[in-house]
Amino acid sequence: MAQKPKVDPHVGRLGYLQALVTEFQETQSQDAKEQVLANLANFAYDPGNYEYLRQLQVLDLFLDSLSEENETLVEFAIGGLCNLCADRANREHILQAGGVPLIVNCLSSPSEETVLSAVTALMGLGAPGARRHPELTALPVVQCMLRFSLSASARLRNLAQIFLEDFCSPSQVAEARSWQADAALGIPLPRTEAPQQP
Amino acid sequence: MASSGGQVGGVFDHHVQRAVCDSRAKYREGRRPRAVKVYTINLESCYLLIQGVPAVGAMKELVERFALYGAIEQYNALDEYPAEDFTEVYLIKFLNLQSARIAKRKMDEQSFFGGLLHVCYAPEFETVEETRKKLQERNAYVARMTKNKDHYMTKKHKGAKDFRGDFHSKTSGFPAASLNTSTGNSDLCLPYSPELPLCYFSPKCKCSSGEYVDRPSNSSQDGRNFDDTLGHCDHCDSLQKMQMKTLQNSLARHGAQKALAPSEAVDRFMPRTTQLQERKRRREDDCKRETLLEACTSSNEVMIGPQLPDIPKVDMHDDSLNTTANLIRNKLKEVISSVPKPPEDKVEDVHRSRPLKQRRRI
Repeated sequence: MAQKPKVDPHVGRLGYLQALVTEFQETQSQDAKEQVLANLANFAYDPGNYEYLRQLQVLDLFLDSLSEENETLVEFAIGGLCNLCADRANREHILQAGGVPLIVNCLSSPSEETVLSAVTALMGLGAPGARRHPELTALPVVQCMLRFSLSASARLRNLAQIFLEDFCSPSQVAEARSWQADAALGIPLPRTEAPQQP
Repeated sequence: MASSGGQVGGVFDHHVQRAVCDSRAKYREGRRPRAVKVYTINLESCYLLIQGVPAVGAMKELVERFALYGAIEQYNALDEYPAEDFTEVYLIKFLNLQSARIAKRKMDEQSFFGGLLHVCYAPEFETVEETRKKLQERNAYVARMTKNKDHYMTKKHKGAKDFRGDFHSKTSGFPAASLNTSTGNSDLCLPYSPELPLCYFSPKCKCSSGEYVDRPSNSSQDGRNFDDTLGHCDHCDSLQKMQMKTLQNSLARHGAQKALAPSEAVDRFMPRTTQLQERKRRREDDCKRETLLEACTSSNEVMIGPQLPDIPKVDMHDDSLNTTANLIRNKLKEVISSVPKPPEDKVEDVHRSRPLKQRRRI
């Protein structure tokens, strides 16, 4: 043959991604699951893969993995979501799949990377121009961000500040602040119970 | 994850070099051994932390080496950062994120003055504004790429079919995606396009495109995967639907594929001269047909390519052609009539001086 045929790279990509998804679902090894999930999350960084990822329902795979017990899997899954939230089609899919509560849950994670990815994912979902989901700036979320904006971690502080400035209206922030003054942890307690010690 | 230094300049977990993963399945092993790590836009930063720099006063050389990858905005040594004996830690800020990504990928684990550098991102040094700008640029990039891709995919969809035909003939010999976990996409050159796993996945690719149905003997492993995925509850329904969809899609396309693939493949591999000869032959055939039918006029014929310039048709009886000749003739008459003698003498002299010499005309 005179020259090597120019192989269309994307033909192999879909197969590879599918193999990853298959392995993730089949394997019993936690290590393998972590490796595969990290691999998929890194693939989610490149917009060129988004169509394949949607086709293989990797977005749902990520959302499901947020409920895993293994903290590493949660971290990788939310990282993957954070990577692909910037895309409009992905955003729609996640919103429709009820991803917002799952991501908001990640804000309570002990892992800093998880929290950072969750904040960024929420920002990606609430991008201006798109119809903003009301859950994204719900009171508990805004209160959480207020707490984060006082965090010792510079990265978290920065992200929380951007969230409050760019994605929340001043009234929402003011409301959250006023609530925070009453309750110890910023979580509104049911009125029938006695208030906790601050 | 707790960090031992909450303030900027302290040690963070993301600075720590993770152990390389050695339990990776063969099909997803990259070219370089890597740790298991996910890179998000949060983690990436224009700020790079460089550890393990031998304390030999080589800051200038270090900065010069990194400057190969892009413009550096600022750099300084981090004296308070915990470092191994006889090593220093530096912070380098690149002007743009892409340079930082490339520099990190290229310089991590590189030897420098006898020591091994460990390069990592240091997003904690960013200001709010820098972080905001970083996120905005990322969003803009994704929007741009998605828009381009929509346009590109509609064009490319046709072309993708013939490549599939050739792809099937590839044997295994997986060159290994360097796009793997850990540095993953940040590993790659502009504009974030990952290197691709090829070859090995032709059987798998066929599997996904539904041709598995035609080749049950392909490999038992594929069969197992196929069946087992159907058995799994988590995504089984969705995956099954997806498999069915791709099956239908590809079966529908497969027919068209087969028709397209051979001719288009042949077209692709014909050397240029053959194509030119082909076209010439076709033109001659058309001409022959023309003369036979006497039907086609030049206006109906579809001309492809530039036309040769026609020979300009000149009216040979036009008087204007003789203008110059007439002018010369008139001039000569004038000259001859006004000075009759000297020209004659001149001619005689010439003949006398060179009586025998013959001039050869080349």
